[in-house]
Amino acid sequence: MAGILDFAPAIVLLPFVSFLVALSVGDRLPKGGAFAGIAATAGSLVLAIATVLTVAGGQTYDATIYTWAEGIDAVDLTFGVLIDPLSAMMLLIVTLIAFLVHVFSLGYMNDEGETGLPRYYAGLGLFTASMLGFVVADNLLMAFMFFELVGLCSYLLIGFHFREPGPPSAAKKAFLVTRFGDYFFLVGVVAVFATFGTAAFAGSESFPALAEAALNGEASVTTFGFEPQTWFTIVGLLVLGGVIGKSAQFPLHTWLPDAMEGPTPVSALIHAATMVAAGVYLVARMYGFYAISPTALAIIAFIGGFTALFAATMGLVKREIKQVLAYSTISQYGYMMLALGGGGYVAATFHLMTHAFFKALLFLGAGSVIIAMHHNENMWDMGGLKDKMPVTYYTFLAGSLALAGIFPFAGFWSKDEVLYETLIHGLGGSPLLLGAYAMGLLAVFFTGFYTFRMFFLTFHGNPRSQTAEDPHGVRWNVKGPLVVLGVLATVAGVVNMVPIEKLLGIGGIDFLHQWLDGGFEGLTAHHYADLIPYSSSYIGSEATTVAVGAAVSLGLALAGSGLAYLLYNVPEPIRHTDRLGRIKAVLYNNYYQDEYQVWLANGVARPLARVANKFDGGVVDGVVNGVSGVSLFAGGRVRRIQTGVVSNYAALLTLGLTALLLAFGILGGWFV
Amino acid sequence: MVPPEYYLLLSAAVFCIGLFGILTRRNALLFLMSVELMLNAANINLVAFSYVWGNVTGQTLGLFTMALAAAEVAIGIGIILVLYRNFDGVDVTDATTMRW
Repeated sequence: MAGILDFAPAIVLLPFVSFLVALSVGDRLPKGGAFAGIAATAGSLVLAIATVLTVAGGQTYDATIYTWAEGIDAVDLTFGVLIDPLSAMMLLIVTLIAFLVHVFSLGYMNDEGETGLPRYYAGLGLFTASMLGFVVADNLLMAFMFFELVGLCSYLLIGFHFREPGPPSAAKKAFLVTRFGDYFFLVGVVAVFATFGTAAFAGSESFPALAEAALNGEASVTTFGFEPQTWFTIVGLLVLGGVIGKSAQFPLHTWLPDAMEGPTPVSALIHAATMVAAGVYLVARMYGFYAISPTALAIIAFIGGFTALFAATMGLVKREIKQVLAYSTISQYGYMMLALGGGGYVAATFHLMTHAFFKALLFLGAGSVIIAMHHNENMWDMGGLKDKMPVTYYTFLAGSLALAGIFPFAGFWSKDEVLYETLIHGLGGSPLLLGAYAMGLLAVFFTGFYTFRMFFLTFHGNPRSQTAEDPHGVRWNVKGPLVVLGVLATVAGVVNMVPIEKLLGIGGIDFLHQWLDGGFEGLTAHHYADLIPYSSSYIGSEATTVAVGAAVSLGLALAGSGLAYLLYNVPEPIRHTDRLGRIKAVLYNNYYQDEYQVWLANGVARPLARVANKFDGGVVDGVVNGVSGVSLFAGGRVRRIQTGVVSNYAALLTLGLTALLLAFGILGGWFV
Repeated sequence: MVPPEYYLLLSAAVFCIGLFGILTRRNALLFLMSVELMLNAANINLVAFSYVWGNVTGQTLGLFTMALAAAEVAIGIGIILVLYRNFDGVDVTDATTMRW
């Protein structure tokens, strides 16, 4: 039966068509091809909504679309579409954000008179198509290919203003740093193929299912002489390399703040729905594989918790509005990794969703502020914008409250669940998780502080520059997306109000839990909960733990926000962070991570490369040159036979004939 | 009947004269003539054995060889003409420019 899910490939293809249209005839269309992109993403959005409704009815879809390499006695390499609750939800998020970003671009790019718009809209279209292709991928290799396409598009869009010095350099950095991680991912993909002979995500023959069966001794796989447990951990960590690069986790996070050089709508797309989300989504997609490896989970949790805290501290002292948001993105994705590592599959997915809404909102809000400020991003030049741009002000407030995790905004529910899951699993006998939990909890305080520092500096107090006194107005195409996202950032938490359920005993309002419990057997939240190697433990009863956890995180968020309120909600705020002295310098310079990585490249990698070059030039080339030298020398001597004089050749021929005759004669016994 | 050894001796003598010419002369025309002598030495052999065995195959082959020799001379003279045009002479030891 041809259902709506058979049209799932169209969700991916529509933005791709808009990419082709913008690329080929974009300069002849009105608005530089913007309408093609808007129409395509709107179409994808409608299809995604239809998909979600169909999946809600209990249908799933897993089909191979195209086999591009048929294996003879080996694996087939295919493109396929996998629609289950997780990917359907992600499709909805990505298409919605992409659609809003396209609309917003009308205000941010077209109205501001940017040039090169066809290139911009082509990039957005391809970016959206790649991410959607990644989301629906039904095997790891296809996911890898679209993962790389996403990286390519981020390169093209971050470097959009390629005539200035900053953006091309930032684009290169983003490309190279994520590529460093992707290298491990590629090795991981090959390892998965070599181990399981398949890279499918779903079904009884998928690699997570095979890995689980192998651990139970029900299936045998090639583990190259390792214990299956050890080998699966190694493979999982290799794939995790790509995740750390794309999702900007420590230590590969350095590309993301630099990526702010790109146009602001692109930042919104990268941070909320596409590039950075891809890493976390990948872990969620193959969670069944990670869940069987305690070591990999512990590493994910610890990296996540550390990144959440680490990035939040750097966000405290930044001057530019987009830089603060960049560090908050790194920090928030740290929370998602913490949740995944801590066994909170649903919590991570939930935070991925709410974060997509409020971070897209904050970036688009920042874009609106930047339009108003004539592309000045320094918060110390802003102030007092709240009366001049009320729509931006109130939506930005909703986004900030959600980011800080203040009740009852979306971010509160998801962040609370992340921390709650980590806490109960940590209490269940995993001290490492408790450490990661402590870092995540501390980061809540910093998050509240930097969010509201940014908020008050931008919108409150007296204007601190000419442009802030008389800001540029914004139109419907900026306000519309802000309002939609503002509403979502406020209410998206209702899809999963677990604390309310646990405290008041109302059953059945954990909609996201139920949602992710549907779909393929083996890809359900319930199945993952059985797989994870953690046991839960509570402080007192379950309800007490929920209440204590929520109260602590809300209290910390309020404390951070309140401190920012006291310090910065004054007519003429001063630079309180200067009191930190040396610490501020360290934070402002990102713990010298960039310097250290440059040193790593220049001081370690370059000498190593030089030694390798010496070896290549001296030994390898030496052998090759030596062999050819012998040939050349011998050839130079032997060629002297070739005099060019016919008489000599004739003489040689005669001598040869004589010698031959003599030889025959002697051997044949003619002279006896 | 003349015994076949005499034919073979004659043939060997003609071949050696041709070989001597090739080894000692530098004039291209004389070269060509010497080659013809060697070719005809082989012809004598063919005809002689044909006669001894009473079989005309050898004579037929001899006729073919003569036709071949005519063609060879035509090409040979052509080469000599080109040689003359390019090197102002027919000395075969001058034409060494294409060796390496």
